[in-house]
Amino acid sequence: MSGAVQTDRAPTSGPAGRGVRDPLVTGLVGLCLAAAAGLVVAPPAPYLVNALGQLAAFAILAVSLDLVWGYLGILSLGHGLFFAIGGYVCAMHLLAHGVAVTGVLPDFVQFMGWTSLPAYWTGLDHAPYALVLALALAGLVAFVFGLASFRSRVNGVYFSIISQALVYVAMLLMYRNDTGLGGNNGMTGFPLLFGWPMGSPGVVTGLAVAALLTLAAILAGTRRLVGSAVGRRMLACRDDETRLRTLGYSTTRLKLGIWCLSAMIAALAGILYVPQVGIINPRVLAPDLSIEIAVWVAIGGLGRLGGAVIGAVLVNGLKFWLSAAMPEAWPFILSGLVLLVVLVLPNGLLDLVALRPRPTWLRGAR
Amino acid sequence: MVDALTVAFGRFTALDSVSLAVDPGEVRAVIGPNGAGKTTLLDVISGLTKPVSGRVMLGDRIDLTQCSEAAIARAGVRRKFQKPSVFPALTVRENLEIGCGPAVPGRARPARIAAILGEIGLGPRARVPAGSLAHGEKQWLEIGMVLAAEPALLLLDEPVAGLSDAETAHTAALIRALRRPDRAILVIEHDMGFVEAVADRVTVLHEGRTLYEGSMAGARGDAQVIEVFLGR
Amino acid sequence: MGEPLRALLALCCLALLAVPACAAPLDRAAFATELCGDGAAQVRAAEGLVQAGGDLPADDLTFAGRLLAALAERRLSCPADGALLLDRPGAPEGHDALTGALRPAAEARAPVLGLRQRAAVETARGTVALLTGPDPAARAAGLAVVERRIATVPAALLDRARDAETDAALRGTIAGLAQAAALSSPDPARRRAAIAAVAAAPSGTAQARLTALKSDPAYAADPAFRAALDAGLSQVRRAVAVGDGLAVLYNGLSVASILFMAAAGLAIIFGLMGVINLAQGEFIMLGAYATYGVQEAFRRLAPGLLDLYLVAAIPVAFATVALVGIVVEALILRHLYRRPLMSLLATWAVSLFLVNLVRVTVGTQNLQFVMPAYVSGGVPLYADFVVTWNRLFAIAFAAATLVLTLLILRRTPLGLDIRAVTQNRDMAACLGLPTRRVDRLAFGLGSGLAGLAGVALCPIYSVNPSMGSGFIVDSFMVVVLGGVGSLLGTLVAALGVGGANVLIEPISGAVAAKVIVLVGIILFLQRRPEGLFAARRRR
Repeated sequence: MSGAVQTDRAPTSGPAGRGVRDPLVTGLVGLCLAAAAGLVVAPPAPYLVNALGQLAAFAILAVSLDLVWGYLGILSLGHGLFFAIGGYVCAMHLLAHGVAVTGVLPDFVQFMGWTSLPAYWTGLDHAPYALVLALALAGLVAFVFGLASFRSRVNGVYFSIISQALVYVAMLLMYRNDTGLGGNNGMTGFPLLFGWPMGSPGVVTGLAVAALLTLAAILAGTRRLVGSAVGRRMLACRDDETRLRTLGYSTTRLKLGIWCLSAMIAALAGILYVPQVGIINPRVLAPDLSIEIAVWVAIGGLGRLGGAVIGAVLVNGLKFWLSAAMPEAWPFILSGLVLLVVLVLPNGLLDLVALRPRPTWLRGAR
Repeated sequence: MVDALTVAFGRFTALDSVSLAVDPGEVRAVIGPNGAGKTTLLDVISGLTKPVSGRVMLGDRIDLTQCSEAAIARAGVRRKFQKPSVFPALTVRENLEIGCGPAVPGRARPARIAAILGEIGLGPRARVPAGSLAHGEKQWLEIGMVLAAEPALLLLDEPVAGLSDAETAHTAALIRALRRPDRAILVIEHDMGFVEAVADRVTVLHEGRTLYEGSMAGARGDAQVIEVFLGR
Repeated sequence: MGEPLRALLALCCLALLAVPACAAPLDRAAFATELCGDGAAQVRAAEGLVQAGGDLPADDLTFAGRLLAALAERRLSCPADGALLLDRPGAPEGHDALTGALRPAAEARAPVLGLRQRAAVETARGTVALLTGPDPAARAAGLAVVERRIATVPAALLDRARDAETDAALRGTIAGLAQAAALSSPDPARRRAAIAAVAAAPSGTAQARLTALKSDPAYAADPAFRAALDAGLSQVRRAVAVGDGLAVLYNGLSVASILFMAAAGLAIIFGLMGVINLAQGEFIMLGAYATYGVQEAFRRLAPGLLDLYLVAAIPVAFATVALVGIVVEALILRHLYRRPLMSLLATWAVSLFLVNLVRVTVGTQNLQFVMPAYVSGGVPLYADFVVTWNRLFAIAFAAATLVLTLLILRRTPLGLDIRAVTQNRDMAACLGLPTRRVDRLAFGLGSGLAGLAGVALCPIYSVNPSMGSGFIVDSFMVVVLGGVGSLLGTLVAALGVGGANVLIEPISGAVAAKVIVLVGIILFLQRRPEGLFAARRRR
């Protein structure tokens, strides 16, 4: 067997936070619910509320990647694409909603010399339709790309770099001004959310609470999933896909299903993220950002849903703080953190914190 | 069942028009020196490798060369790999549950898993992750996994490689116990004593061709076979 | 007096057509007299000079030029006999135009030019300046004057000016003007000849020039003209298409060369260790910065040899980047061989670190490079196809790299080790090969190749800290398409991806080209998941 083919496979070393027993996830779900309640009862300064909401959106994104990377061994370097699909559709909804209420066209539409929104925006001012469209679009793109890749057994680093090319091409596409989606400036200046003025304290708190509750729901749901028979098959597929196939399971269908689910969760994160920052532009499609998602997961602890959340919150919290305090130093700190984790803490910072004794089922797993 | 199979990797021909038929109820051993094409033969039957030409018929109707690995497995073919292939992150019980395959309904599983745990002698270790089992235990667990689906054709790739004499004897007994009228077993092995103990007939492969087919005793007397194994 | 002169000149012209070597002298006295005559005579003299200009000896032209200048500047005085040249308008005495003797100019008439006469005289002066001007600037000024009344200028005159011109650029301008003049000439035969001449030297401008003639009334009226134009135009179109095709091929080849250089190191590392080096783009960037360092060192220490810095940078960039690669391997990747996805993140961290290190220490601006003669300019080869030296440098560089790398892989002990470990790591280790050391050296080799790519890029791309990210996606596509561990596959894939990009780009834009190439690669992997050249392997 060739060395290259051997190393192509997913790592077999990653442990997995499994099933309903994972107290870390229980704790995080409780924390999310408590934080949401706290925001409603005694809201702190709006910028803190906003930061908390953004962190929750990033955590959802990290969980979506951990689901495919940690439990299925598929490292996607293109998850920014699904995040962006959610974000763009959400931005379109907000703008279309604004046009429907105020009648004023967004700047970039006027800039292109159009007198109305392009035809494919029809109906986007209805929130349920926009939500369904975002999830369906993310799922569809994931399905087509996943089908093409998994069917031909593209996996390991091959899959990673092709998914990176995918997000890169999408970025080039969105930088064009003639797409009707804002070109390189993206879309911003959202006036209203469900009829309420954007940026008012109520809306800010509402968005943060929605993000926290969604995170709690996603955590609870994915924990159920990975604890189920499907979750066991995911781990089996990660560790020895050929073996699983020769036992009669269609791994293509398994991978495709989880992959599409992961893409839709990422899109959900994008939907929650965009109204909180008030802008979307092609830079969310930069390959570097998609790699950063993987970095959050690796830093927090690959293959542990709670690890993904902790990594996303930690790295982005640090980033919020440091890129304002010492912007020059941030890239060095980030790269140092990554090297530290991959070299010294193979299971991420959870190794360091050692929240609980290592469970017996981990001891043997390499 | 196997009809005029030819497999090539680049310019190298691994199997050259190999044919053999294994009957239900039979234990057939395939022996041959390294590079004879034994593992390749199993790869083709289990769908990991597609042949250049030839067919692999299961029963009268299903040509396995046209099926995916999963479909082949669902048709009742199970393979034990040379290197023990169990899922290290899952417990013994979970491994066996996956081994039942997608066809066995959830209600029927616990009973079957319990039975197999008894057969392979891993009952006390059911909750241990497979990654921490000893080598021999992994071999048995894998045999248990492929048995869990009640296969019609069982492919065993060197099931006693690296085992102690006692473990080999245990495995030979296990395989003899697996013999059933509706099940064909194809074993690949180097250990002649083991082959003699379990096999009804042997097929000798050499450089991608069939050299001999018949009883083990006949193989021991065949001049060509002796030359291949002992000569040079 | 005027009529005989014209007859003579006309005769001479005819004679010249037959025997080009003949050069009839100017009748200087008659010329002077005519300039002193009435307006019609002045025009006759000036136009006669222009008509004959192609054949007159140089001293005659100088003589005529002096007289014409004096006339235009009101320094010509016309006594009853001959003509005087004054130093300034209204001077009391002047030199005889013919003899040069000093004579009083009192009472003599000083002719004034009318509008029509002035134009004719200016053209004649321009002709003289064009033919006898002392420097290119003077001749160019003359040409500019002549150009205004190009229809009245005979072809022979422009031909002579072109043949005598020493300045290449000016010669090109004259030739273009002569062609344009001939194309719009009232003489149908001359026009057809001109069309044939234009068609014989095809280019995009020639095509535009001929296409413009289709709206000429003669195209509809004169069948011979129409046939000549159609034939000429189709000839030019064909040639331009061929030239453009060659240019696209050349461009594609140079893009493919860069891609190959960027991907070759990546492919060796990937084939050997299964490590995707996301920092490969930054290694290219380091190679370019090393080149810059060599240039600056030459500028300080040996300014006379500055042009050689690119050559000197080749070993320096290779060694520098190879060293960086070996350090990265020894400190980081060594621990991650069984965890390829983690090594991918680690190399990303390295790339982030390197980009920001360069950003902080050197700055974010584009580096300025001196372009030695051997990488600037180019030679026009066919139609609009110009072989530019900088791209040829990259192509030659890539070819040399390919040959050298193949030699290293096929003919050296290290190459044998690399191939052995690539094909079967465990077996190689069993045979006692120091696989760890082989890994390290191979990583150094792969990194060094990225450094060489950096050198080759300097004359073509802008060099700044973030330049690496521009190559990384494309070169990964090349590696994926080419197959693991096959240098030949990398080469073919680089040619394919580079060629496809260059071919599709003019039709549907750069973004569409990237999309199509990516979709093509994904579709290709449906059929051959292991790439172009990977042999089928046993599990």
